[in-house]
Amino acid sequence: MRRLPLSTLLLLAVLLLMAAAAFTAPWISPHDPLRQSLLLRLKPPGSVDPRQGVFLLGTDDLGRDLLARILCGARASFAVAMLSVAVSLVVGVSLGLVAGWVRGWAAAIIMRLVDTMLSIPAILLAVLTVAVIGPSFLSLILVLGLTRWPRYTRVAYASTLQVAAMPYIQASEMAGAGAARILLRHVLPNIAGPLMVVATSEFGLMILFEAGLSFLGLGIQPPAPSWGSIMSAGRQYVERAWWLTVFPGIGLFTLVLCINLLGDAMRDQLDPRSAGR
Amino acid sequence: MTAALTVADLAVHYPVRHGPPVRAVDGVSFTIAPGETLGLVGESGCGKSTVSKSVVGLQAPTRGSVVVDGVEIVGADRRTLRQARARMQMVFQDPATSLDPRMTIGAAVGEPLLVRGLARGQALRDRVAGLLAEVGLRPEHATRYPHQFSGGQRQRIVIARALALRPALLVCDEPVSALDVSVRAQILNLLVELQRGLGMATLFVSHDLAVVRHVCDRVAVMYLGRLAELAPRDALFAAPRHPYTRALLLAVPEPDPAAQRAKPRVPLAGEIPSPANPPPGCRFHTRCPMARAPCREQEPAWRQVGESMVACHFAEEVNSPGVDKPGC
Amino acid sequence: MIPALDVRDLSLAIGGARVVDGVSFAVRAGEVLALVGESGCGKSITAFAAMRLLPRAVTMTGGQLLLEGNDLAALPESRMRRLRGRRMSMIFQEPLAALDPLSTVGTQVAEATGLRGAAAREAVLAMLGEVGISDPARRIRQYPFELSGGMAQRVMIATALIARPAVLLADEPTTALDVTIQAQILDLLRRLAAERGTAIVLITHDMGVVADIADRVAVMYAGRIAETGPVARIFAAPRHPYTALLLAALPRLGDAPKAALAVIPGQVPLPSAFSAACRFADRCPLVTDRCRQEPPPLREMGADQLSACWHAERVR
Repeated sequence: MRRLPLSTLLLLAVLLLMAAAAFTAPWISPHDPLRQSLLLRLKPPGSVDPRQGVFLLGTDDLGRDLLARILCGARASFAVAMLSVAVSLVVGVSLGLVAGWVRGWAAAIIMRLVDTMLSIPAILLAVLTVAVIGPSFLSLILVLGLTRWPRYTRVAYASTLQVAAMPYIQASEMAGAGAARILLRHVLPNIAGPLMVVATSEFGLMILFEAGLSFLGLGIQPPAPSWGSIMSAGRQYVERAWWLTVFPGIGLFTLVLCINLLGDAMRDQLDPRSAGR
Repeated sequence: MTAALTVADLAVHYPVRHGPPVRAVDGVSFTIAPGETLGLVGESGCGKSTVSKSVVGLQAPTRGSVVVDGVEIVGADRRTLRQARARMQMVFQDPATSLDPRMTIGAAVGEPLLVRGLARGQALRDRVAGLLAEVGLRPEHATRYPHQFSGGQRQRIVIARALALRPALLVCDEPVSALDVSVRAQILNLLVELQRGLGMATLFVSHDLAVVRHVCDRVAVMYLGRLAELAPRDALFAAPRHPYTRALLLAVPEPDPAAQRAKPRVPLAGEIPSPANPPPGCRFHTRCPMARAPCREQEPAWRQVGESMVACHFAEEVNSPGVDKPGC
Repeated sequence: MIPALDVRDLSLAIGGARVVDGVSFAVRAGEVLALVGESGCGKSITAFAAMRLLPRAVTMTGGQLLLEGNDLAALPESRMRRLRGRRMSMIFQEPLAALDPLSTVGTQVAEATGLRGAAAREAVLAMLGEVGISDPARRIRQYPFELSGGMAQRVMIATALIARPAVLLADEPTTALDVTIQAQILDLLRRLAAERGTAIVLITHDMGVVADIADRVAVMYAGRIAETGPVARIFAAPRHPYTALLLAALPRLGDAPKAALAVIPGQVPLPSAFSAACRFADRCPLVTDRCRQEPPPLREMGADQLSACWHAERVR
């Protein structure tokens, strides 16, 4: 195993810290993210209430603790992004493997479907679908998962074509291995690298999409918090309560930036021209 | 005794979007007896690799027949082909790409046994250890990955994998071309030893005539998708019956300065024509130093001259003393 | 007479590994010197060093490169650039990869002349004719993809030689070609060396090619010269065990088929594991304690032959 550069380790550390905070939100959160208090509306960051304690990042228009809501919202973001990436990865890679292995008519149909999907604006498709089937956590995952698979298919298809022409695949055929074994034991491990790079950048995109859809009111439904809906609600108070949009914005920015930088670092690591292969 | 391999009138044509199909292989026939090694030589683009791929069923021929150990594999269904492949195995040119980089060599060598349900668990590990020993590697190598081995060792691993099923026919496609001289000698010695010990028939595809002469019993020379000559090794090297064979033999630079510089030069005019548009008559006539009128019009018959089978109108003259006329 | 190219005590390093260690050779006008060895012996990187075209990771840690008596290592890059292609040029294993796919044969050959218009065209046509390209007037309008490998190598040779350089470095120029084409290219190189007085350094792994064309040979092993001398002596009476084994490992058209070939046990060491003493010691049948302690210097073995072996007298 090659040693990772320090910058990559640092990125990983920040990312893991954010993920850990998100998933332990119910336990580390200083306040109940849903508890309202009209007396404590729009308190600025650092306000202290004798009975409730400190509101580190202030409160929102219903007097809920912003830090608790951001932590809880991060959990929703991570869950949506992970599950939708998983769905699209499975769908996309399966189709790409089949297209790359069978070629001919199967590839023609699948790849034209990919072209079609990629020519429809994803956010528009998502908005329309949610509008039809109704917003919920599950529909969010299905919509994102089932609209974002074509990029995986493209990469999986091209890589499979390349790997399938390698003599070790022919040797495996000569050994008597069936298509399923060849695809799962030989092709998949050898195309995993570029797919992981795509999955990483998609993960960042999914977090942005979830925020976007929630901002539009089509994602996580109130009163459950999400970064998108917090910012959407905070929009009306931008002049009086800047913290409502700035803090979730910083969280979103940091998270997606980390993920994208990590994707680049991974691409460099997986480049066959870099040493050690 | 039935032949280990019978190839009859094999042809592989690749369709081209504009223009006539590329006739990579265009009517090739030969047989290999059990335990015999046949060398298939020729320059790049002559179709020798396509023949080897068709023999193991990795390339579907346009017409013709390939019978391995009594089983016809052209047009065979998937089950027949899978069973036939247990009787033939292939060693590829580049050991760097013929092993899965993400699989241990134990798993690679054992794969044929595992997927055919012939061994598993401890029995499989023992068989793999035995195969590795057979090619001169140690059992503890089984847990390592291909990148931890040198080119020569990787080719040994590839050979071990090919031997796992004890095939009746081994197809070697340029097995030593990617190796350095000192390592090449090791692999050639191993192949000769294994042939003796296991009695496999071998189709040995190579562009290197010295190597082919070293390991083969009979030699077939291909030119532009056809066989030019097929003869026992000694006959072919002592008295080539096809002008192309003769030119090839003289073009091989020998590692002996005095002999090499004393050899007659037979410059072959020009380059190999395109297999999409082979010349009429004898395919070699455009480069042949002996070409005459009939060569341009009439395809030469595949006939016996001495010990050799040859496709040349003037095969009898190839070795006559006057053949290297000055200015020829 | 000053040698066309005189490489003295060249040392190259990648990181801490001394990939080329004290290599010296000289080649005179009209002479063909073969630099022969297996992959990783440092023969190609030596040629790139002579052109001062080293990859960034490689540093020259010592030695002199004298082109017609001038030390190249001391020249600024701007002067060096003018020498490349004019006084010293290089051809490669993959001619099609070395040609610009987007410009015609005529343009590429003309570029090396520094001439323009009708004069350039005339020079190019003459040069293409000289390297044996038929119908040069048609060829100059063609693009590299329309050429076969042999034709592309002829174009490369024309490009390399049109400015009449003193030295041609040829890195495996026939390895990618078929034997019948290889024979043509070797004949061409030999003729050009003789007619134009070009000094040729031929880098190859093929002992047959060496026997065919070289006047002198330098056998390299693990970044050092193992043995050097006139071609006839090296083949008839090698004085280094590596050369002897390398020659015995070759299947030849004259020997007994299926007889065991000589084998060099083990493999070439990695540059990081190069020994300070004799680098061939671990694979050598003649090895003694001395070989593992002191590096053997190149010693005169008579008739212009030098061997870097403590036991040169005992070889064969």
